[in-house]
Amino acid sequence: MLLGLDHVTSFYGKTPILKDIGFDLHQGQCLCVLGRNGVGKTTLLRTIMGLTDRMTGDIQMSGANISTAPTHQRAKYGLGYIPQGRQILAKFTVKENILLGTFARSDGLGEVPPLCLSLFPYLAENLEKQAGLLSGGQQQQLAIARALATNPKILLLDEPTEGIQPNIVHEIGQTLRRLNTEFGITLILTEQHIKVARKLGDAFLMMENGRIVARGPIAEMTDELVERHMTI
Amino acid sequence: MPPSRLLKHKGRPRHAPDAQWRRGIGDVALGNSLSADIAPIANALILGLSIASIWLIAALGLAIIYGAIGVINMAHGEFIMLGAYTSYALQSFFGLPFLLCIPAAFIVVAFIGLLLERGLIRYLYKRPLDTLLATWGVSLVLTQLVRLTFGSDPKYIAVPEMFQSNVQLGFVNLSVLRIFVFALTIVLVAATAFLFYRTRFGMQVRAVMQNKEMAASFGINADRVYMLTFALGAGLAGVAGSLLGVLAIVLPTMGTAYVVQAFLVVVVGGGTILGSVVASGLTGEFQSVLAYVTNETFARFLLYLLIVVLLRFRPAGLFAPAKARR
Ligand SMILES: Nc1ncnc2c1ncn2[C@@H]1O[C@H](COP(=O)(O)OP(=O)(O)O)[C@@H](O)[C@H]1O
Ligand SMILES: [Mg+2]
Repeated sequence: MLLGLDHVTSFYGKTPILKDIGFDLHQGQCLCVLGRNGVGKTTLLRTIMGLTDRMTGDIQMSGANISTAPTHQRAKYGLGYIPQGRQILAKFTVKENILLGTFARSDGLGEVPPLCLSLFPYLAENLEKQAGLLSGGQQQQLAIARALATNPKILLLDEPTEGIQPNIVHEIGQTLRRLNTEFGITLILTEQHIKVARKLGDAFLMMENGRIVARGPIAEMTDELVERHMTI
Repeated sequence: MPPSRLLKHKGRPRHAPDAQWRRGIGDVALGNSLSADIAPIANALILGLSIASIWLIAALGLAIIYGAIGVINMAHGEFIMLGAYTSYALQSFFGLPFLLCIPAAFIVVAFIGLLLERGLIRYLYKRPLDTLLATWGVSLVLTQLVRLTFGSDPKYIAVPEMFQSNVQLGFVNLSVLRIFVFALTIVLVAATAFLFYRTRFGMQVRAVMQNKEMAASFGINADRVYMLTFALGAGLAGVAGSLLGVLAIVLPTMGTAYVVQAFLVVVVGGGTILGSVVASGLTGEFQSVLAYVTNETFARFLLYLLIVVLLRFRPAGLFAPAKARR
């Protein structure tokens, strides 16, 4: 088991947003977290990164209990975070944004890892460009490159295809698939696009109001289930 | 009291060992051969540069702490004062040469800043108003502690022999001490800019400044960054203190005077390093030239007036990034 959550309840202020969440994730898996807006998908990823105000329960990563570790230490266990809205540092150059990821590495590499450049040729050609000037799709590539620069075991992707042109959605989907199958990086992915989830995922969690209401292999994610928990 | 005022301090005892050198920034002597027209203006401009360099050192640490952490450190003037007393104490009691007193003041005051950050400031990061009050309280305590330890009579730092001469630069005759202060200012600004823009630590600071959560998500310990930045800002104030101590007199209350100028520089400059450099240069020159045209007090009045007008139109300072302006 690579990552395990056990009875995790997570708070903003005094309000529990995630309630009693538990699941196991194995090396090489791609887990899709699904549900309507506001059910707690982002909060789940933020809880794993230690970015909520408080949590109870246990989070295990590679056999270590990281429930009380501060965010900057969790990053070093091998969590690469690609937040919703991408959160690129706009004043940094493309190169500086990628280098930001290297602070979470344990091998002390202080350069742009070659993988980041070979996966995203556009970034490789525009390393000195200010990141705030990139388009949405390019910023998403940069966010993925930055997370890859941490040399992660798990990538946490929060709606990576949100607000991105359809042709680039496909491209990003392919990149993620390569990272998962070719490089063996485990993925946790929140999605609104059922198609992307079905293509990439091999397991799913369906959320409603801060709780997991359905789970299983992706083949068991029936249209009926999607209808019930995802249509508005 | 502002620096130029202090330097003309009348109550200074006659037995001060190096009285004639304590004029520091006021001692521009011009060559005889020069035409009488340019001389006074050149004099004022050069005086402006020296005022600027002193304000800049004082402002640099303040700007770093404010820019990176968002804390307005009301005790910054007292860090300057502690730097001066550190140099004084090391020189008078342990005979440390002045050139070594400067780095020693950096280390001692940086360490005091570190203790203050760990013991107090870090608990207040989410409450800016409380930091203001707390650091103000600290400034009172520090002043009082120094008064109890060293007494409230003025102290002097001896100027090393090598600085007690003048050199001819073009048509202007400058004291070596002033050239040293000016050069050290350039070195400090360059070193600080290098640290912030060219090192991994500087990148961590700039990342935390932009987005603390993202910085943490990528392995940066923001707490440690704040601690080290605060210590660095304090250390710079310590260096400013040892230089001011040799140019002027050392008093428990000396910090209050300098910190007003330092705040002006930071506010006008908008809190960035480059902004502080330009702002200290501008305000220093303005003050000096206006003082030449009118007089010292009226010059300061005009300078403050100009700054108020400037802030009316540019509330975030001269060099604030466009989106921070309203
Ligand atoms: N910083 C916050 N403070 C308080 N409540 C929040 C915060 N962020 C999200 N929430 C609340 O938590 C719930 C889940 O939000 P979120 O995790 O963003 O949902 P999703 O990503 O599934 O759309 C929402 O009701 C939202 O209002
Ligand atoms: Mg979300």
